[in-house]
Amino acid sequence: MSLLEITDLQTYYRAEGGWVRATDGVSLSLDHGETIGLVGESGSGKTTLAKSIIRLFPDNAEIHGGSIEFDGTEITELSSKELRNRIRWKEISMIPQNAMNGFDPVYTVGEQIMQVIRHHEDGTSKAEARTRARELFDDLGIDPDRIDDYPHQFSGGMAQRAMIALALALEPQLMLADEPTTALDVVIQDRILETIKAKQEAIDSAMIMITHDMSVVSETCDRIAVVYGGRVVEIADAETIIMNPRHPYTLGLRNAFPDISSEDEELISIPGTPPNLVDPEEGCRFAPRCPFAEEECWSVTPEPQSYGDGHIVECHRADEVELLQEEAGKKETWMEQDLGKPEELSTDGGEPQTGRSTDGLEGDHE
Amino acid sequence: MGLREFVIRRLVQLVFTFWAFFTILFVLFRMVPGDPTSMFLLDGMTAEQREQRIAELGLDQPLHIQYINYIEQLLTGDFGQSFIYREPVIDIIVVRFMNTIVLMGTALVIAYLIGVTFGALMGWWRGSRFERGGIVVTLVARSSPEFWVGIVLLSVFVFWLGWFPSSGMRATGGDLGGGFVQRYGSLDFLRHLFLPALTGAIVYLATPTLLMRSTMLDVLKADFIEIKKAEGLPERTVLYKHAARNSVLPLVTVMAIATGAAMGGSVVIETVFNWPGMGREMVRSVNNNDYPVAMAAFFLMGSVVIIMNFVADLAYVYLDPRVEYE
Repeated sequence: MSLLEITDLQTYYRAEGGWVRATDGVSLSLDHGETIGLVGESGSGKTTLAKSIIRLFPDNAEIHGGSIEFDGTEITELSSKELRNRIRWKEISMIPQNAMNGFDPVYTVGEQIMQVIRHHEDGTSKAEARTRARELFDDLGIDPDRIDDYPHQFSGGMAQRAMIALALALEPQLMLADEPTTALDVVIQDRILETIKAKQEAIDSAMIMITHDMSVVSETCDRIAVVYGGRVVEIADAETIIMNPRHPYTLGLRNAFPDISSEDEELISIPGTPPNLVDPEEGCRFAPRCPFAEEECWSVTPEPQSYGDGHIVECHRADEVELLQEEAGKKETWMEQDLGKPEELSTDGGEPQTGRSTDGLEGDHE
Repeated sequence: MGLREFVIRRLVQLVFTFWAFFTILFVLFRMVPGDPTSMFLLDGMTAEQREQRIAELGLDQPLHIQYINYIEQLLTGDFGQSFIYREPVIDIIVVRFMNTIVLMGTALVIAYLIGVTFGALMGWWRGSRFERGGIVVTLVARSSPEFWVGIVLLSVFVFWLGWFPSSGMRATGGDLGGGFVQRYGSLDFLRHLFLPALTGAIVYLATPTLLMRSTMLDVLKADFIEIKKAEGLPERTVLYKHAARNSVLPLVTVMAIATGAAMGGSVVIETVFNWPGMGREMVRSVNNNDYPVAMAAFFLMGSVVIIMNFVADLAYVYLDPRVEYE
């Protein structure tokens, strides 16, 4: 049985114009000890999807439908108290993007680690919790004496390690890593990722790695889910997503990241912006930015199609994989396309989006 | 730099601040028009009498001599004689100063306790009816003139309900002497204190409430609040131990400044409730060109501001580990 089973999850935000469908009908499963990467641009809904698992979202968000079954427990039906005492941190912990801001600045890092241990484990004495915090630090290559330091006294990489120590403190079954290395320089990035992997294996925890960086997921993840416009548009094992993707968006994302092995390769970005998720219309959400969009893409929302080995793609033209892969590698394909719906192009010159951008929706808790 | 060195440096700064403050006070008081004798001219004081009086008070000396005398006197705690009462200034001012401190101190403590708590809750429950109502109540309190609040409280609690005495500090009158506990420890005193202190609290409530609310809103956006929620900590812990604890920092500075302002700003409340405090004494002394009393009053008020800022700096070091000792 899998550890986590998300079925048709819909997490919506109330907005002035209606509901922002940040996660709109996502299904995903995760095995014990498995790492899955959620890849997509800012505003694609990947963070909302991950945070829905512990129902950590602002007051104006709610789970509209679907189910999240974690280790036999239906998360959507738990009371907030049960959620706090049984699931949060004890079973599912988090590694945030910017560890420096993840600690409360007025308490020492050690105090904060001890606090969470003692909250979840009744009867753990202060001294025991302290010993455990020191051990965690030692494990992660930080001098144990530094548990008495305040967060601002740590360097970025060190703070991230301390954050990982905090995330590991209760040996959770699942960790949500939200772009855990984006704020760090490349060398440290690599070491942090290795540390996370090693510790994750040591306690046999599963992980959801949220990132917009394809190189990070390819190194760390067993499977990759590509998120666009609140939906998982393609999911497969990491190798397939990197080597043999079928969705034009995945192909585009792959282009946008440097491949160190081939130096002369030019980076190609995907023109346009993520879609407005307030009551989206029927049709493929990537169509306005997709160089391969046909008439059908505008009128019919693509159904998930399976291509074996858990490779699932939501695209009308996924069967034409050879053509897509060949064309998507060329810069002209992306640069010379007309953005937007064909019939609108004649009138407004092809502005891709007129609606409100959903940028900054994720993680911005007001 | 260590904490010790920081405190020492801050103390040295304090001395310089005081010196600058003394000097400005001195210059200001020599610049004001009129002299202490001008009030008596109409009473038929002759030119010789006037000269003599000015000489008695040392006002015929050159300015730099006056300045040196003045500094000498301040350092020895001697504020001179009141021109009007012909009594040592210190006797007039100290008791009144204490009365004001007790009154305004109580008002400020109430205002800040309530303000911080309500401000924190208003920020926490953003967009709720509680928050909206709270803002309205706070702004109404803020916009009400002190004398009006005082009069309303007087008519309700004194003239209508008859629960509290209307004015003064004690039922029996008499002199203001006696020890601290004797003066401020009795139930009778507390009954007299209640209404004026409440008036002050209502007037001073808005600043801490609104400031606390707005810093709460900022702090609640911080990543660590989300992490603390993800840690499964109870809401109360996240609210008080983390959100409110971080939001209270800017209030420390504001409270220091408010304390100073309250010392001088108490004059209306003292008048409405006939409270024998320093605010009234200050106004009287300025009106009568009673330089020594006015100067001592300004001196004490300014000192409170300077000292409170010093205390706020030290409190900051204790409350916020990020403060660098520079």
